[in-house]
Amino acid sequence: MIMLYLDPGSGSFLIQLLIAGLAGLGIAIGSQWAKLKRFFNRKKNKELTDDENEDE
Amino acid sequence: MMKTKTNNLSASFRDPSGFLFTRDGELYRQVNTVYAPEYDRLMSSGLYQKLVEGGRLIPHEALDVEPAAPGAHKILRPERIQFITYPYEWSFGQLKSAALTTLLIQKTALQFGMALKDASAYNIQFHKGKAVLIDTLSFETYVEGEPWVAYRQFCQHFLAPLALGAYRDIRLAQLLRVFIDGIPLDLASRLLPGRTRWNLGLATHIHLHASAQKRYSETALSEARHGRTMSKQALIGLIESLQAVIRKLTWKAGGTEWGDYYESTNYSEAAFEHKKRLVNAWSGKVAPKVTWDLGANMGIFSQEAAQHSGLVVAWDIDPEAVEKNWKKVRADKQTRILPLLLDLTNPSPAIGWDNLERASLGQRGPVDLVLALAIIHHLAISNNLPFERIAQTLAGWCTWLVIEFVPKSDSQVQRLLRSRKDIFPGYQREDFEAAFGRYFEIVERQSVDESERWMYLMKTV
Repeated sequence: MIMLYLDPGSGSFLIQLLIAGLAGLGIAIGSQWAKLKRFFNRKKNKELTDDENEDE
Repeated sequence: MMKTKTNNLSASFRDPSGFLFTRDGELYRQVNTVYAPEYDRLMSSGLYQKLVEGGRLIPHEALDVEPAAPGAHKILRPERIQFITYPYEWSFGQLKSAALTTLLIQKTALQFGMALKDASAYNIQFHKGKAVLIDTLSFETYVEGEPWVAYRQFCQHFLAPLALGAYRDIRLAQLLRVFIDGIPLDLASRLLPGRTRWNLGLATHIHLHASAQKRYSETALSEARHGRTMSKQALIGLIESLQAVIRKLTWKAGGTEWGDYYESTNYSEAAFEHKKRLVNAWSGKVAPKVTWDLGANMGIFSQEAAQHSGLVVAWDIDPEAVEKNWKKVRADKQTRILPLLLDLTNPSPAIGWDNLERASLGQRGPVDLVLALAIIHHLAISNNLPFERIAQTLAGWCTWLVIEFVPKSDSQVQRLLRSRKDIFPGYQREDFEAAFGRYFEIVERQSVDESERWMYLMKTV
């Protein structure tokens, strides 16, 4: 048992498990989609730099 | 040995990992032994170095000084933030930047086998023009299989106000002033338009999240989990989902009070330039560490003061002006201007336990210099504040004051008087000087070229 100083909330824990499932599905679909796009674009998707990560 | 005065700060008493204290004007953070393994991992894993190099975490040095309480593992001296700000003072873009910074840190931490144990917006400050995490004790060892303990807090502190600003009304972000631990998700869910239920990110992270909280409010965590775990990849997926949702949230400001203020000013180019020269020269004379520009709008005069100030806080009541100014200083890489949101007639109060957790505006002063340009008529006429009260308050906020007097004959003042009875016989320059003279020494006074306005440099007595 780890010590938690924040109350994570039971509902908040469960919803994460659910979203993780959905996101996993999304990533799986997304990566197939990206592969398909790359196939047509013949262009590798640029990795986001740190700064692009921070702002829109 | 002479005992020096040590003060524990009330902003940091919740976390048993350590706390902040000041001694002889220096700020220190005590790391308690209970947190030693986590702190040592942060430092030895390379995570600290990675985050500090990226400008995401405040740097510190560990010093050999006397602890403020028993049970100390280390005493740190963090780099000082010039001016502490709160999320209800940030523009939409600033809150968004703070949110994305928090997620980026969480993702980076996971690469180093750690995770954020909290995601409070109050742990983020704007430092050298950038959002940075100031709580060095926010990290814990990541345990494979565990969900994100700070997920709920992240949604309340960041996602809810951003979604409300983007989809309902930017003014709802002010709810952060009422709810110190972020906007409750059931409230955010009720306030958001129904169509946001069709947005997968908001449907899950806010609407469904709120329902789950309600449904499982009486259920123990272990019972709710039922032994289920979350893989590291799934956790990264969750963080990336939050990143995607937040990146897509945008706020397009509509027309506002001040949007075209500079275009609609009633004075000439010569008057404008003269005012700029005076602000520049007088700021140079004061050489302030921190300047507050009250009613800064897009920060034209803040830019003059910034040439001589460590930091100019460019306050304005209009969320659009603050947002535009923030975008401008970011684009210009102007790190000495920090635009912030403030209703001067009802400034940020002290909030939290015993009203000590977050400081009021006045408690974060006094600063070396306050600019009060073209606001005296708004305070005295629109808000019925006597000169005496204005002078008294400003004297508590600063050492030096640059203030502009706008006479009744000025068309901007006439515009304010159009909609109301003139009950201000005492709104004369002589009355203004007399009232301010009780709290300040008038060091310089200049009539503004091609205008009936006057500029003053004053110093508190």
